[in-house]
Amino acid sequence: MKKFTSKVAAAALVMTLASVSGQTLAADSTKPIVIPTHNWSSQVVMAYVIGGIFEDMGNNVEYVSADTQGVYESIRNGDVTISHEVWQSTFGASFYAAMAKGGLIDAGTHAALTLEEVGVPQWVVDNNMCPGLPDYKALIDCYEVFATVDSGGKGRILEGPQSWHGTEYPDRVEALLGDNWVVKFAGSADALWADHVAAEKEGRATLTFNWTPNFTDGAGFVFIEWPEYYLGCRKQDGGDSKCGSPKGWLKKAANYKFPKTHPAAYMAFSRMSFDAGQIGSMAALVDLEGMSHKDAATKWLADNEDTWRAMTGVGM
Amino acid sequence: MPSQDTSSKQKQPVVKCESVYKIFGENAEKMLQSSNGKVDAKEFQDAGCVVGVNNASFEVHHGEMLVIMGLSGSGKSTLLRCISRLTDTTAGQIFIEGEDLLALSGKELIELRRNKMGMVFQSFALLPHKTVLENIAFPLQVKGNSTKDSMIRAMEMVELVGLDGRENYFPRELSGGQQQRVGIARSLAVEPDIWFLDEPFSALDPLIRKEMQDEFLRLQGVLNKTILFVTHDFDEALRLADRIAIMKDGIIEQLDTPANIVLNPATEYVRKFTEEVPREKVLKIETVMEPLDSSEELADLKVSKDAIIETVAEAVLNEQKPIAVVDENDKIVGVIHNSKVIHVLFGDNKEETND
Amino acid sequence: MDYLKNNPKLVQLGVVLIGFVVLILMTGQYSEIIDVRDGFTKAVEKGQIVPVTGFSESVSMILSGQLPPQFVRIPELNFLNLVVSTSIVYILTTLLIMAGLIFNNYYSKIQSSKISLIDWFKRYWTKLFLYVIISIFGGFFVAPTLFTWFFGEPGTSSFWDLPIIVTDYGNFLMYEWFPIQVYDPDIEEFEDKALIFQITRGISAALLFCIALIREILLGGVKTIVAFTSWDWLSENEWAYWPALPWTVVCATTTMLGYALQGRGLAMLACFGTLYISIFGQWEPSMETLSFVLIAAPVSVILGLFFGVWSYKSKSVEVVLAPLLNIAQSLPHFSYLVPVMVFFGIGDQAGAIATIIFATPPMIRLTLLGLKRVSPEVLDAGMMSGCHNYQLMFKVLIPTARRDILIGVNQVIMQCLAMAVIASFIGAKGLGFNLLLALNQLRVGQALELGLCIVIIAVVLDKLSMAWANKQTDYFADLPFMLRHKWSLLFGVILLIGIVLSYIGTFIFKGGINYLYLIPHTKGVTLEPMLQGGIDWFLDYFFFSLQDFNKWLIVDILLPMRESYLSMPVSATFFLVMGIGYIVGGIRSALIVGLCLLFIALLEWWDRALITAYMASFGVIASAIIGITAGSLCAQNKLASKVILLLCDTFQTFPSFVYLIPVMILFGVTDTTVLIAVIIYATIPATRYTVEGLNSVPEDLQDAGSMSGVSRIQRWVKIELPLAFPHIMLGVNQTVIFALFMVIIGAFIGTEDLGQFIIKALSDKQGIGNGLLLGLCVASIGLTVDHLIQTWASRRRKLLGIN
Repeated sequence: MKKFTSKVAAAALVMTLASVSGQTLAADSTKPIVIPTHNWSSQVVMAYVIGGIFEDMGNNVEYVSADTQGVYESIRNGDVTISHEVWQSTFGASFYAAMAKGGLIDAGTHAALTLEEVGVPQWVVDNNMCPGLPDYKALIDCYEVFATVDSGGKGRILEGPQSWHGTEYPDRVEALLGDNWVVKFAGSADALWADHVAAEKEGRATLTFNWTPNFTDGAGFVFIEWPEYYLGCRKQDGGDSKCGSPKGWLKKAANYKFPKTHPAAYMAFSRMSFDAGQIGSMAALVDLEGMSHKDAATKWLADNEDTWRAMTGVGM
Repeated sequence: MPSQDTSSKQKQPVVKCESVYKIFGENAEKMLQSSNGKVDAKEFQDAGCVVGVNNASFEVHHGEMLVIMGLSGSGKSTLLRCISRLTDTTAGQIFIEGEDLLALSGKELIELRRNKMGMVFQSFALLPHKTVLENIAFPLQVKGNSTKDSMIRAMEMVELVGLDGRENYFPRELSGGQQQRVGIARSLAVEPDIWFLDEPFSALDPLIRKEMQDEFLRLQGVLNKTILFVTHDFDEALRLADRIAIMKDGIIEQLDTPANIVLNPATEYVRKFTEEVPREKVLKIETVMEPLDSSEELADLKVSKDAIIETVAEAVLNEQKPIAVVDENDKIVGVIHNSKVIHVLFGDNKEETND
Repeated sequence: MDYLKNNPKLVQLGVVLIGFVVLILMTGQYSEIIDVRDGFTKAVEKGQIVPVTGFSESVSMILSGQLPPQFVRIPELNFLNLVVSTSIVYILTTLLIMAGLIFNNYYSKIQSSKISLIDWFKRYWTKLFLYVIISIFGGFFVAPTLFTWFFGEPGTSSFWDLPIIVTDYGNFLMYEWFPIQVYDPDIEEFEDKALIFQITRGISAALLFCIALIREILLGGVKTIVAFTSWDWLSENEWAYWPALPWTVVCATTTMLGYALQGRGLAMLACFGTLYISIFGQWEPSMETLSFVLIAAPVSVILGLFFGVWSYKSKSVEVVLAPLLNIAQSLPHFSYLVPVMVFFGIGDQAGAIATIIFATPPMIRLTLLGLKRVSPEVLDAGMMSGCHNYQLMFKVLIPTARRDILIGVNQVIMQCLAMAVIASFIGAKGLGFNLLLALNQLRVGQALELGLCIVIIAVVLDKLSMAWANKQTDYFADLPFMLRHKWSLLFGVILLIGIVLSYIGTFIFKGGINYLYLIPHTKGVTLEPMLQGGIDWFLDYFFFSLQDFNKWLIVDILLPMRESYLSMPVSATFFLVMGIGYIVGGIRSALIVGLCLLFIALLEWWDRALITAYMASFGVIASAIIGITAGSLCAQNKLASKVILLLCDTFQTFPSFVYLIPVMILFGVTDTTVLIAVIIYATIPATRYTVEGLNSVPEDLQDAGSMSGVSRIQRWVKIELPLAFPHIMLGVNQTVIFALFMVIIGAFIGTEDLGQFIIKALSDKQGIGNGLLLGLCVASIGLTVDHLIQTWASRRRKLLGIN
């Protein structure tokens, strides 16, 4: 364990030195950089975008499909080189767990701020099914609108899988909404989207977990406004859980050897910082225009060549 | 092969068993050692052992057909399996053409089986995934012969057993009799010296069985192999055998020519089998002939001393005069009278005949 | 009364049921809190109830008709202070026990029969497994428990630490045990790498090379070239790229293979299959999937044959393998994804390994079964033909057993493609990954197309391999060179034409897409709008009519059923299950199922396991009813039997994830959805075994029935069904296994059972331990049912004299 940590420290040192010494970098290794692809559009397109940039620099790239939670362990072991979309609240735990074990380093943060929170589809607000939304106080009284067959008359919040945030939502609901609400954990993101479709058909209001940027942004989604987040407000941090989610970061992770084996690529990677608009435009090419992920990435790279060259300093 | 070697081989028994024991069970060997060769089946059974073969000693000579006869559980198949070394003998010695079978290494045993032994099984034991031709060629291919040679030889065997035109059939597409023909052809493909047949015709219908026995005799007439044939059918044994070994509870009760067994059953058990046997079907003319009396006037007809009575009875009865009995060199060795034949055909079976 | 006397089993059953009910009634003050999941734990946390009572208090509680709390839930078995410890003292204890056992065995054997050390080892080496288990149990569990009882502080049971212990040992083995210095040229430094890590990565690399080789033949690439040179060499030589075969070549070759192996029918099937895949633009992902299946399936078959043959040869191997196979068969695949990922990395090779773990057990079983069924005379015939051991095995035994072995191969292919989606969780590329991607955008139509591709690959591969195994040679055709090598020559011609065609293609098609070389995903024909339309129509049409059904099912059946499962006190569950075990198979069975239950009870997931059991049992009951009915109806007719068996094959490989989404839209994120998915999947074995069982009822028995003048229905009820029943019960046994699998996959919909935790283990810190132990919990449920049904069926079969 100690050895790993010292390696990380050494790598960090090398990295700092490298950045200080500027452009006098050693050439990148020709071994391929392994980029993981997960099961949502923006991530896959961004993987190909980043891969495209690396290839433009003359690196070899390989893509591997990976589980969103397991990928951090793989980065640690060096089976995967980077991860470019680390969502704070969903993958933060796995990210820090892997970092603590050693072998994984933080490669900076994207410009995009993410929000991961429960909310309702736009039409729930449009139809005024629960007056007073998006304020959370409105929920206290209109729990019946959100009841489902198996909730026993209580309002139901459909959370993501339990592996994402543990007991955060049950705690918050207990603290802020009271006994008339239950939290149900969905098994996967698919379940959330399926529930949107079903609820719309049925004309039932539904309160689900969601995030932005996401493809649901197109159809409109309203996040509930909870009391402001502050450090330590959560139950596991000793608070009373009477707070919402913070605006989260979107980080990048890399294997600790990456700066050493591919200094130039690492430099470019650490400089990459996409904002919500850019991520949204990547996803839209696939979700809305029906392109393949690879084609979408090629098109995006061509359309935004100046942007990414400026950002990464590649080919400038 | 030098000629003197061949002649010595003629004299040497092809198969020779000396005090062969086969006892199933965990401490069979220990028990056998302590029993000093006198095995009491009951005693062993109480100790959890089953006696398969109990002190079997005999010899089989070149070109001879020994039929091992017994009811199920008598140990006849076990004895055969011991001689083919499909099961290991508990004690005793077995010699194949003078070679100690039990001392052979695995490799030597395989060589022996590949070149000198052939075996036919009760349930045919054909390989279901191979055609008739492939089944017959199997022992050859196992031996390492080229595919082409094997197939040519196999095709000869197909013709020998009369299955031409069906060589590309699968076993499941053949009748029982045809399947056994394949089994026979397979066992003969390597031109073995010793031919083991383990109840080859038991699974067949009576009519087919008769046909196959004829076929078998025909083949033996052509091939003249040394044969060990196991059956539970006494009639079959009488029909085919040069000598018969009758087994009961692992013990060979009697080993003799069919005629002697019928005429002189050694034990009560053997007698029970022979009681119902029509003697004319077993006895050869030789056994009922009388010494030549020069005063008698003989008929023109001559019969061979090896002829079974039944086959010549009609001809003999049609003659008024005594009939000359001749050996294979056409030399007269005796005479036969009508009365004797009538006696054999219609007389009381239990009465002792001469000889 | 006499009737009861004649049926002692009925009396026993009555006693068990009465005892069960009495125990349930004795929950008294706890009945309110335990019918909610985690109710007991929460009540303890809030201090509303005491989790444990002392001995005298417990007795007085029982006498007053109230179970003490530890008999209601075993929260941590505090009252016994069970302790698991792996500290150095206990490791030494363990080794001591092991050495003692081994020495004892050796000494006693040496005494009775004079054998050498090597002979002794050869004969008794399997005992070592048993000794290792006993000594681990004794050293790590019994000894520390006894110590704390007599000398230690009364504390809590450390059984719940088991996942952490397993994880720690896993990590130790993987990252720290036996470090060796490895030079890493990338960072120009020596690094400490654990031995196991090096070995497993070596295996990974070998597998990956094989997969890449096949993949690059089909799709082109550079990895194979890199394997023989280096990335540096590659970047210096821009021309070095292995080109893909044009799809036309693959298509025509498959067709040719189909024709060569069987004839026109198979050629057509192969042709249509590959054409569909290509024209619908799924070529790339399909070939990716194919390339890892083409490695995973043969490896599974070879491993299966190897272990099957080995356990046929050696009784002791069979004894060791049997329980392992049982566990492997009922262990949910998700629970070994994390260990596979840690040990073998991520990527196609990990997917292939997970697939191999999943697909090999049935192959081993069927090989062993087939070999055991070979008649001893055939074996003798082989020996008398002068076969070596090797010839005996490969020319006689295996070919003769091939009916069962081929069923095994069929199962391997089906299982491999059934894993296509799951394997993509740990990096397998191809159809599975694309399917998940499509589902995540709710594009069910597209997912359906991808699912169809998986089924097509499965069917074509299966038929081709069967045809290959059944191929016949003609020995007397004395053919000229051209004819003898006609297929290789034809392949050459196909290759040439294909290349020429694709070259011409570059002139015809502009815009960088050459339809004669590869049809990219976006340019393929797609029925997606139509399929999607169909699905949407279906959803719209049935949506409202199904809502009432859904409500009824959940409110009136599922929720009460779930509550009744949860409200069982632990003691009642043990009493019932062990009681049934006793009735079915005597004391031995009772102990076996008791141990399985105890394993679950001692870990912290008892409530979750009850929910899993509730869903699985509902699924099994419904599937068994549907499957047996459908199977019985179809077995009446040859054609219908064939059709239903084909349907079974299709649904077995068709990825369940595809129908999860529409069902989820219809029934919401509820237990109904999970159960429907379970029923769709678990009905397959029930149907299959019913059809097979009924078809194998001997004809003469049926005729005898007809001659006694029974009607069709009577014949079915009185003759066919009872005779086929043991076989059908084996189908039900498989149904249980399938249902458990699907309940676990149901976690992707949203369940509260063990499955949810297994999925969670993918990201846990103690992922390895949690995943494996949770998997073993599920396996324990499976093993319990498996044991009961197998024991019952084999006794029944003996009674009926069916083999």
